[in-house]
Amino acid sequence: MTREKPKPGETARRAALLGMIVPAAALLSGCATRAASPTTTAAGAAIKGGLGAYAMNPDGTRSFRDHELVDQDGKRVRFQTDLVAGRVFAATFMYVKCNGICRDLTARMREAHALLEPVMGDPVQFYTFSLAEDSPADMKRYMSEHGLDRLRGWRMLSGASEAIRDIRWAFGFFEPNEELDTNLSAHTGMARFGNHRIDKWSACPALGAPEGIARGVIGVLPHQDRARITWFHEQHRKNGRPIPGWRAT
Amino acid sequence: MRKTNSGRSANRREFLKGSALATGAFFINSKFSLKMLDEAPTSPFTVPWLQPLRFPNYAIPLPEWQPLDPIIDPSAHQRFEEFAPTYFYEYEICEAQHRAHPQLGFSTLSTFCDSYPAPTFMMRYGQPAFVRMKNHLPPTVQGFGHCDVITHVHNGHHPSESDGYPGDHFSPGMFRDHHYPNIYAGGDPLEAKSTLWYHDHCLDFTSQNVYRGLAGFFLLFDDKDSGNENDPNPDALRLPSGVPDGKRVKHRYDIPLVLFDPRFDSQGKQVMNIMDMDGHLGDKYTVNGLVQPYFEVERRKYRFRILDGGPSRFYELWFSNSMEFQHIGNDGNLLPAPVTANHVKLAVAERADIVVDFSTLPSTTTEIFLVNRAEQIDGRGPTGNLLPMATAPKLLKLVIRPKSGSVPDQSQVPAVLKPNPAMDMPVVATRSWHFDRTNGMWSINGKLADLSAPSAVVKQNTAEIWHLSTSGGWAHPVHMHMEEYRILTRNGQSVAGTVLGGRKDVFPLYAGDEMTIYMKFRDWVGRYVMHCHNTVHEDHSMMLRWDVVP
Repeated sequence: MTREKPKPGETARRAALLGMIVPAAALLSGCATRAASPTTTAAGAAIKGGLGAYAMNPDGTRSFRDHELVDQDGKRVRFQTDLVAGRVFAATFMYVKCNGICRDLTARMREAHALLEPVMGDPVQFYTFSLAEDSPADMKRYMSEHGLDRLRGWRMLSGASEAIRDIRWAFGFFEPNEELDTNLSAHTGMARFGNHRIDKWSACPALGAPEGIARGVIGVLPHQDRARITWFHEQHRKNGRPIPGWRAT
Repeated sequence: MRKTNSGRSANRREFLKGSALATGAFFINSKFSLKMLDEAPTSPFTVPWLQPLRFPNYAIPLPEWQPLDPIIDPSAHQRFEEFAPTYFYEYEICEAQHRAHPQLGFSTLSTFCDSYPAPTFMMRYGQPAFVRMKNHLPPTVQGFGHCDVITHVHNGHHPSESDGYPGDHFSPGMFRDHHYPNIYAGGDPLEAKSTLWYHDHCLDFTSQNVYRGLAGFFLLFDDKDSGNENDPNPDALRLPSGVPDGKRVKHRYDIPLVLFDPRFDSQGKQVMNIMDMDGHLGDKYTVNGLVQPYFEVERRKYRFRILDGGPSRFYELWFSNSMEFQHIGNDGNLLPAPVTANHVKLAVAERADIVVDFSTLPSTTTEIFLVNRAEQIDGRGPTGNLLPMATAPKLLKLVIRPKSGSVPDQSQVPAVLKPNPAMDMPVVATRSWHFDRTNGMWSINGKLADLSAPSAVVKQNTAEIWHLSTSGGWAHPVHMHMEEYRILTRNGQSVAGTVLGGRKDVFPLYAGDEMTIYMKFRDWVGRYVMHCHNTVHEDHSMMLRWDVVP
C-alpha cells in the first residue's frame, strides 16, 4: 500500500493556524453571542467526555457535538443539526492531496453511489470529511475532477482538524495510540453508515467491494426504502419465503 | 471569495477560524481519554444474588399431525431425502421485554420464541430435524440490532444452505428453512459433538443481534453421551445428566450456562456502544440472562456447559475456593480424556464442558462463587493479567445444600471419553491466514470481508492445513464453520494432552499467537465462512468466505 507523508509545510501551517486561534477560542468560550457550542447538543444538553463523546436523547436518538463545518460550495453547516439529525448517510474521511488510499476510496464510493442511485439524495446522503482542512475551492475542484459534482446527495465537508477528529472518533475510527491516530498517511479507510432517527449504525471498509458498501448503506435504510433498490431486492427476497398472512406490527 | 446561501462569506481562512473558535474551548480544556470505553454509561448498582438462576424451555417440535405451511421445498436442501427430517420445529423470531435484574428496567430484546436465552434444542444423532425460522421482528428496530436475521448453529455440521451463512439474512415477514441432518462428519462416531449453540449471524449486525438476545443452546446426544447418567448401555459415558427445562430443574445435573457482559443506562435499559469497533465491554455479568443469580446445588457431581456469548469478553473462570474439577470438553466435543483443572480460559464463542463434584467439599462450605479473573480493559482482548481472587468479578453464586440429594449419584467421569478421529486424509493444500489491522479495519491477510467471491475454494473429501496467526496487541478467537478441526501446533508446540488437544471450532489467537490446523471437508458443498468471533471484529470486516466444491 502506498503511504503518503503530509508535506512539511502543510503540517506546520495547520499547527500555526491552530496555535493562533485555539487560545482565542478559550478566551471567548463564554461569549454569549456565539452560536450553539459544539460541546452541547443542538437541543442544548451538555455532552460530557472526551473525543468522540455523544449524548443519548430520550427518544432513543443520539447527539454529537454540533461542530461547524463548510461544504464544497462554501456553505456553512452544523454537524449534528444539518448532517446527522433525521438523516441517513454514509460518511468517509479523506483529503484532497492524498496520494494514498483516497483515490481508490473515492472510486469505490462512486461505484457504491451508482448501486444506490434510486435512494441517493432521498433519503441517503454521502458525506466525505476532509482530514486536512481542505478549502471549499479545493473540495469543489476535487469533486469536479472525480465527477462527484454531478452525483445526487454527495457533499464534501471541511473544518478544523480537531473538529474532524472529534467526528472521526465519534464514528469509532480511531487508534488508541495517539501517534498512530494522528498519522495522516495511515488514515482510516472505513465508511460509517447511520440512520439517526432509529439510531442504526454500521460500518464497513470503503476500500472493499462497492456492493459491500452499498449493502452497508442498505443495512441502515428505512425498511420501506430497500425495495427501491432493485438489484438488492431481487437478491434479498430469495433468502426467504413470505409468511402467509403476515402483517407488520 | 464565495457567497454562501446564507449570504455569509466563507473563504477558507475565515471558516477555519470560526470553526476552531467554536471547538477550541472544549479541546483546550479537555484531557481527552484514548479509551472510548470511558464514554460508555455506567450501569446502575444492583444487589447480587437476589434471583435464582433460570433456564429456558426446551424447543418443542410440532405435533405429527401439524404440517408446516407453506410446505417444504426439498429441492432447496442437500441430501434431503437421504436424511429425511423426523422432527419439525417452527420458530418465531420476535421482540420481547426482558429484565435482567429486579433493580434494572425492562429492555426490548430480539428473541427466539419470546425466550431469552433462546429455547434449548435437545437433538440426537440419527434424528434429522427441520427448523423453520419466521422473522416476526418489526421492520424498524430502534437502537442496536437489526430487523434482518439469519440463524447459524455454531459448530453444526450442516449443509451450506442451512448453515446460517451471513449473506442469507432475510427480512420481517419472511421465513427460512433449515435442515439439520444431525450426522457425524464423514459418518465417524468419533466426530460426535455435544455442546453447540445457535445465534444470529446477520451480515454486519451479528454482534448487535446476538447481544440483543438471539442466542441459545443446541445440545446433541448419542449412545455414548446419552444424556442419562443411569443408562444401562455399557457404552454410555454416564456423565451427570438432566438438562433443566424451564422451571423443571429438580434433579437436573447437566447445566448450560451462557455468559454475557451487558451494560445498562441510568434507566436500567440494555445499551451497546456500537461505534467502538474494538469491541463491546459491559460492566455487568449475566448468567442465562440474569445479573448475578444464585444456583442451589446438591453435594454430588454436576456437569456445567459454559458458553462465552460475547460479543468481546474473555474469561478465566475459577471457583472462589480454587477447587479442582474435570475439564471434559472444549468447544462442542468431548476430549479424549478428562483434564483435571482449577480454571478454564474462554474466548468468545468457546465452550467449556466441566464436571464439578460438590460432594468433595467440607460440610462447612455452604457457598462458592464462579469468578472471572481475566483482566480486560477494552474490546481488543484480555491484558493477560490475572485479577486477585478476592476482587475479581463474581458471576454466579453456588449455594451448597447441607446434605446430598435423595437421588443417588450414579454419574461418573470415565478415564476415556472420546478418542480423537484419525487424521487419515491426505493433505492437498496449505494456506496461511494472518489476522491483523489495516487502515483501522480488522483484516485477514490485509483484506476485508467480501462475500461476493470466495477467498479459498476447497475440494470436498480432501484435507488441508491452515496456518492462523495474529500480531500483538489484540486477540482474535477465530471460528470456522462446517466441521471441527484439529490444532497440530500452537506457537510451534504440540497441544496433545491439553484442553486444546481435542477437536475445535474456535481457535483462540492471543497476542502474537500462531496455530496450525488440520482440516477435513466432508458431506456438504457450498459457501461457508471463517471469521473472528469477537463479533464486533467480525462485523467490521474480519471475515472471509470459503467454498467447498465437489
